[in-house]
Formats: sequence, structure tokens, C-alpha cells
Amino acid sequence: MVEDLDQKIRDSKKGMSPIVKTIVRFAMGIIILFGAYIVLYGHLTPGGGFSGGVILACAFIILTLAFGKDLALTKMGDTAASILDNSGALAFIVIGILGFTGGFFFLNFISHGKLFQLFSAGIIPLCNIAVGLKVTSSLFAVFIALSIFGRFISKLVDEE
Amino acid sequence: MILYFLSLVLFVMGLYCLIAKKNIIKKIIGIVITEYSINLFLILIGYRKDGIAPILFRGMARAEIPDRAVDPLPQALVLTSIVIGLGVLALMVAICLRLYEKYKTFDMSEINKLKG
Repeated sequence: MVEDLDQKIRDSKKGMSPIVKTIVRFAMGIIILFGAYIVLYGHLTPGGGFSGGVILACAFIILTLAFGKDLALTKMGDTAASILDNSGALAFIVIGILGFTGGFFFLNFISHGKLFQLFSAGIIPLCNIAVGLKVTSSLFAVFIALSIFGRFISKLVDEE
Repeated sequence: MILYFLSLVLFVMGLYCLIAKKNIIKKIIGIVITEYSINLFLILIGYRKDGIAPILFRGMARAEIPDRAVDPLPQALVLTSIVIGLGVLALMVAICLRLYEKYKTFDMSEINKLKG
């Protein structure tokens, strides 16, 4: 299945030249790894949900630019982006409301752990992950809305 | 003080671009330049000579943060401002696309079918 898709991408004439496609295929994993690192270590080092989310969204945007819209829409379509966007916002609100178990809104109710450990700081990494999910999917949704569906709508207007 | 004045110059340049240019895309660029000059000004308010980032690193005493670190409040403010600026930019570009579909031009002086 993966081989099949890979072959189809290599053969298709859409997108940019084979040089760009090869470089993007190499860089893709590294960019996504870096974005995930920025999101997960947001409570220890500079960074956090928004910056990591922007890097992850840029990875998807590079994929769209290099391989054309078909591959990018199979990796993350507009419906999937919308669902992830809403679930990120919902997760953030749920984390905030769960603070009422201890008394008030956005209470850090999980154990804080040791300083400078990855699993520490209570709910802050969870909030970072929720924000990162929302920023990734909503930025990519904005990109595909402006580029792909913008062209689609203008075609509809022309037909009318 | 000279840096505050330079950010004011950047603000005025963005305002000039917003008022004088007829192309809508150039107007959007002017708005973004204005926004960034305000962000730069707010960041410069929190600046401190030989300051460090307001983050507690390993092997650092806690008292070092209020003694040496730059002011974190303008940085948090500007981060929020950047996010809002991104949303406003996406909205402006979307409106521009709709205008281009309707009028087939980006020139402001030719978009004159608005009644009332």
C-alpha cells in the first residue's frame, strides 16, 4: 500500500521537479520531529504549543507545495483538519474545566513532578499539546481554504 | 530612545503604505508592517541591558530571574498579538480573494460598484 502510493507519487507529473520532491521526502520527517519536540518540551525550553504548531503546519504546507494538492488532501483533508481543530479547542476547555475538581478554573490538579523533567509541570504539557493540535490543523485549514478551495470557488463563479 | 524613534519611523512607513498605495495587497503589507512596528515597540519596552531570557534553566538560582532577566509581560502580550495578527491577515487575504473574483482586479480605484 505504502509502496504503491510512493510509486504513484513518483510517477505523477503534478507538483514540482523530482529534486524538490526528493529533498522534501528527506526533510519531512525531520521537520515533523522538530515540531513535535518544540510542542512536547514547551514547559522546559523556549517554544510551546503555538510555535511547534506553526512548524508542523509548515511541514504540511511544504508537502502541498512540492507534491500537489492530491497527496496533501489524503494526508490531512479539510474534514480531518476541521475535526482536529475543534478537538484541540475542546481538549483545552476540558482541561480547564477539570480544574474544578480541586476548586477553581485551570487549577493545576496533576502532580507537578520534579523540576526539569519531561513529565512534570502538571497540566501545562497537556495544554501545550492541545494548542499545538489546534494551531497545526487550523493553519493548514486556512492554507488549503485560501489556495485550493479559493481556486475551486472562483471556478464555480466562472461557470455561473 | 533612538530605538523607540526608529519603531515610530517603521509605523509611519506602514501607515504611508496603507494610505497612499492603490493595490489592496500593498495595503495589506502596510497593515502588517504597522502591526510589527507596534510589536517591536512593546518588546523594546521590556528590554534590559545584558538581560537573559526569563526562563529557569538547570543550575540557575531562582533569585537570578528578577535580578537579570528581561520583562516577560510584553513578550506574552506580543505573542498573543502575533497570533491575532495571523488571524486578521488570513481574513484580509480571504476578503481580497473574494474581491478579485468579483472585480478581476486588485486596484482600489476600480472597485467602485459599492452603493451607499
